[in-house]
Amino acid sequence: MPLAASAIYFLNLRGDVLINRLYRDDVGGNMVDAFRVHIMQTKELGTCPVRQIGGCSFFYMRISNVYIVIVVSSNANVACAFKFVVEAVTLFKSYFGGSFDEDAIRNNFVLIYELLDEIMDFGYPQNLSPEILKLYITQEGVRSPFSSKTADKPVPNATLQVTGAVGWRREGLVYKKNEVFLDIVESVNLLMSSKGSVLRCDVTGKILMKCFLSGMPDLKLGLNDKIGLEKESQLKSRPAKSGKTIELDDVTFHQCVNLTRFNSEKTVSFVPPDGEFELMKYRITEGVNLPFRVLPTIKELGRTRMEVNVKVKSVFGAKMFALGVVIKIPVPKQTAKTSFQVTSGKAKYSPSIDCLVWKIRKFPGQTEPTLSAEVELISTITEKKSWTRPPIQMEFQVPMFTASGLRVRFLKVWEKSGYNTVEWVRYITKAGSYEVRC
Amino acid sequence: MAPPAQSHRSPSPSQPSGKGEVSDLKTQLRQLAGSRAPGTDDTKRDLFKKVISYMTIGIDVSSVFSEMVMCSATSDIVLKKMCYLYVGNYAKHNPDLALLTINFLQRDCKDEDPMIRGLALRSLCSLGVANLVEYLVGPLGNGLKDGNSYVRMVAAVGVLKLYHLSASTCLDADFPPLLKQLMLKDKDAQVVANCLTSLQEIWSLEASTSEEAARERETLLSKPVVYYFLNRMKEFSEWAQCIVLELVSKYVPMDTEEIFDIMNLLEDRLHHANGAVVLATIKVFLHMTLSMTDVHQQVYERIKAPLLTLVSSGSPEQSYAVLSHLHLLVMRAPYIFSSDYKHFYCQYNEPFYVKKLKLEMLTAVANESNTYEIVTELCEYVANVDIPMARESIRAVGKIALQQYDVNAIVDRLLQFLEMEKEHVTAETLVLVKDLLRKYPQWSHDCIAVVGNISSKNVQEPKAKAALIWMLGEYAQDMQDSPYILEGLVENWDEEDSAEVRLHLLTAVVKCFLRRAPETQKALGDALAAGVTDFHQDVHDRAFLYYRLLKYDVSVAERIVNPPKQAVSVFADTQSSEMKDRIFDEFNSLSVVYQKAQFLQPSYMFTDKEHRGPFAFSEELGNLSIGTEPSDAAVAAQRVEANDKDLLLGTSEKEEGHGYGSNGSAYSAPSYNASTTAGASQAHFDLVSIDQPSTVHPPVSFAIDDLLGLGMPSAPSSVPSTLQLNAKASIDANAFQQKWRQQPISLSQETSIDPRGVAGMMNPQALPQHMQGHSINCIASGGQAPKFKFFFFAQKEDGSSAYLVECIINSSSCKVQLKIKADEQATSQAFSELFQSALSKFGSA
Repeated sequence: MPLAASAIYFLNLRGDVLINRLYRDDVGGNMVDAFRVHIMQTKELGTCPVRQIGGCSFFYMRISNVYIVIVVSSNANVACAFKFVVEAVTLFKSYFGGSFDEDAIRNNFVLIYELLDEIMDFGYPQNLSPEILKLYITQEGVRSPFSSKTADKPVPNATLQVTGAVGWRREGLVYKKNEVFLDIVESVNLLMSSKGSVLRCDVTGKILMKCFLSGMPDLKLGLNDKIGLEKESQLKSRPAKSGKTIELDDVTFHQCVNLTRFNSEKTVSFVPPDGEFELMKYRITEGVNLPFRVLPTIKELGRTRMEVNVKVKSVFGAKMFALGVVIKIPVPKQTAKTSFQVTSGKAKYSPSIDCLVWKIRKFPGQTEPTLSAEVELISTITEKKSWTRPPIQMEFQVPMFTASGLRVRFLKVWEKSGYNTVEWVRYITKAGSYEVRC
Repeated sequence: MAPPAQSHRSPSPSQPSGKGEVSDLKTQLRQLAGSRAPGTDDTKRDLFKKVISYMTIGIDVSSVFSEMVMCSATSDIVLKKMCYLYVGNYAKHNPDLALLTINFLQRDCKDEDPMIRGLALRSLCSLGVANLVEYLVGPLGNGLKDGNSYVRMVAAVGVLKLYHLSASTCLDADFPPLLKQLMLKDKDAQVVANCLTSLQEIWSLEASTSEEAARERETLLSKPVVYYFLNRMKEFSEWAQCIVLELVSKYVPMDTEEIFDIMNLLEDRLHHANGAVVLATIKVFLHMTLSMTDVHQQVYERIKAPLLTLVSSGSPEQSYAVLSHLHLLVMRAPYIFSSDYKHFYCQYNEPFYVKKLKLEMLTAVANESNTYEIVTELCEYVANVDIPMARESIRAVGKIALQQYDVNAIVDRLLQFLEMEKEHVTAETLVLVKDLLRKYPQWSHDCIAVVGNISSKNVQEPKAKAALIWMLGEYAQDMQDSPYILEGLVENWDEEDSAEVRLHLLTAVVKCFLRRAPETQKALGDALAAGVTDFHQDVHDRAFLYYRLLKYDVSVAERIVNPPKQAVSVFADTQSSEMKDRIFDEFNSLSVVYQKAQFLQPSYMFTDKEHRGPFAFSEELGNLSIGTEPSDAAVAAQRVEANDKDLLLGTSEKEEGHGYGSNGSAYSAPSYNASTTAGASQAHFDLVSIDQPSTVHPPVSFAIDDLLGLGMPSAPSSVPSTLQLNAKASIDANAFQQKWRQQPISLSQETSIDPRGVAGMMNPQALPQHMQGHSINCIASGGQAPKFKFFFFAQKEDGSSAYLVECIINSSSCKVQLKIKADEQATSQAFSELFQSALSKFGSA
């Protein structure tokens, strides 16, 4: 079933309409009231992103301080609806320069109306590519290429671009310096039991690319993934070079990547869009290098005292370091007083989240700082049973490290004019949901 | 300029500020209208922005309509867009004023700039004023032929808009054939995609009234058209790909080779970054291989990785949508995902709706090899601060326990929950222990020891309390304190609000009395005394019933209240497999999320505009199972039974039971699975009346097993538990005709048929052959697409009774009308169920 959205609403947290656009007449005008009464003002809010009220279904998502609501009256494609919202927000962000919130909407509402008109027609998603839309809908709303008839030729085939086959790149781009930036960003998800065994661990990575290339370049990316390397050695009929290879569980690509070629040759080849985009996403569950080990010991001494000892071990190379490490150690609600000793960084008690927050700005590899804290509790009578411990959570960024071991082997650029390109590659591993039970 | 921050919920005339400013705007606009001074556009732009911002927050600015139109003569495209937006918003309510705009919109449709042509055409079609449609036809026709693809793209959707405004105008202007032409030859993929969506919508809506449209809709699914789309797949945008893939999933390939070709072509789509494309591709794969068991399994293997990726990437909302689909697949093929159970472990910060689905997934994939790990993980969640999460986790543990044969470790875990001394954990666990004991009576000893230690004061929730009381009654023999605890509970009769608990209390006291009379006598007396004066009708009635029974003969009471019980082997699933199949047919739609098939209730689910709560839907379902024609005896008997059940069910439980789609409640109101207990039920009258040959089993409280036996003498089993048909039944045409004329219609029903079945209707012999496999013979058939008519004949196994059926199938709307005549009217309902289930399998095999 296709997505045929009847209306889209942007609401602030109080439920005021910031923007609304009705696409079809098959729902009443009071849909937003229904949403307010039956979802926003009830405990239901946030319990389920899809709700049916009357004959209509509401899909809603909260993005910063804005609710985006799509109303449909048919048996619509849910995945498509949410993806549409996500893409639309990405589009708006690229127009507003990165932020999407109530203020951004208020300040750009005419622009959003223009965009809403283009990205969806009669409830069916149309073109959402920022590259193309920016050709004829501009940030300032000043003089679109067609508006002023005095201006000499408008971009000749902008409308062709709107609908055309290579929807992601326009022709005739020229850069003085041809550069490509690759960012490999991985987030590690970990769930470790209190006994130190890994319950669940995976890495979701993405390769972000920023292209400043002239003309219509053809790019080819080589990674150290097992299947790709095997295929390559097969094609060239020579044994694969030894070295660390990794196994990608699954990959998805930006629409510019030639998927047929990926399927047959296992190479990632593409004509990139101009500017910034997400080239591919991948997922790995086997052979993940965890950057940190957390060894907690939490002792409850009677009803009013607790002893917390946490040792965090960095297991990446000694020359590397992690940045912005935050370790959140949960303590009971009735915590009265805390005292700390840390061998590195700073720690404090944050009552709003019931956690001891230990921050280490720069965390070198192969070290193991510790925190030991004493927690005094207000004694209460109501709490009959011992406090159930939420997991310790960790945030970090480790530059030049990939938890999956993924490496870019090469990035080749072909263009008929044969210019030279400069390629920049960065790696970074971040914490996704890094949880250790204690 | 930003819209003012204050909120205006509705246009109210009493807002002086709004009104004053609007009239200010009006004058300012009027001044600008004629002006050609430089810089006018910028001033206009500010004013327009103001107007739009008022419009957005709900202030009625329709009064400046004519001024806006006057100012619209501009070359500034942004101004134009704002003006179009304004006009689009108010035209519907001011059709007269809208006429003013037609002129300039039509002029813009001829502008030399394709952008303006497109925009004007879009606005023109979006005006939504029915009596202006005549002005649309010309520009639309030109738009479809426009040299610029942007305009054609807009025009393609414009046709659909026109159709919704006035179907006849659209059809008279011959737009659909034009769209079809464009769809099959346009160079631009987006134009093609828009043509396809428009045509799909138009022909689907037309199909019910026009045979031609129905045929046209079929041609969209014909080989050349589908191949045309497949070959252009890569040109389409990701959104258009979703639509094309949806089309392909409905296509029925001729042979396996074709299936493999299509799948090979589409395999790369599984790597697409857009989750909706991936899901749509999966749908194609799954539906195409339905008949090829081996390949179907391979497909599951193939789609596993992409699905798991989709779950772990993207926003929680997206994960939710994907997880709902994954859940459906896991139910169909649990073993495929059983080694990936770790993917379904919950993260601490995930929203509850994601966690809940993950829990359901964990219970579904649990098997011998992974149960230990899964249950260990679930136990972690039980200790969770989040109460709903803890409850769901306990239910999940219980569900696994009920699935598995080796429950030893799980029972221990459950009993440990009881020792956690948290009220919600105890409550939830008690309900589960009760269910567990019904299935595994051999565990009673261990359970009773722990349950006995629970103070009934710590249990407040009705459901849990009822469970505890049930156990006190059922195991009165083994629980030392049982009579005394019950006595204490009876003393607090008046403080007990829940009728459900009072009902259980009555039963438990009687059971206890039958075993340990001396100790319970006082409690029994008090309970019956309190019961007969109870304001709740059911409680009152039950108390009287017991009172009279006991007075009549204690041994009879014993036989009725406390018969030997058989362990429940299978608890009925919340959803019949038929329902699941239907949902599966609607893969990649809301049906999956709601776990309800659109198909079953088309009148309500999505087309009905009346405002009805979700409960209305579930009630309808309930009626559906009971039968729509209360006139004949069989149905009447069923009604009585249904009422009986109502009588015995606590009110709260009854409501829960009707919440058919929600998995959570399924658990607390278990029902017997008719098909599995059918054999045994004959012997144990406690189950007889539950055996409805319906697809939706009404949930039955566990107390029923004690009491329904009463219905036995008064409600003879007029509805045989399983209606067997004679496979060799025969009748000649004359006899059939004669019978048909003589007998009254005992049942007439409307139902629906699988769309894939409809595809099979192309062969007139397909349905008769299929039905013959179910011992239902076709006597005569006829008709033309979209309307086919069949006469069927069937006979009961022992030859005693014959059934005649007239079945009219509308292949375009997938509706089926049934008229059933039977020798034995009482069994016609059962036969109808049988017939419908046979029919529903048509095409899905």
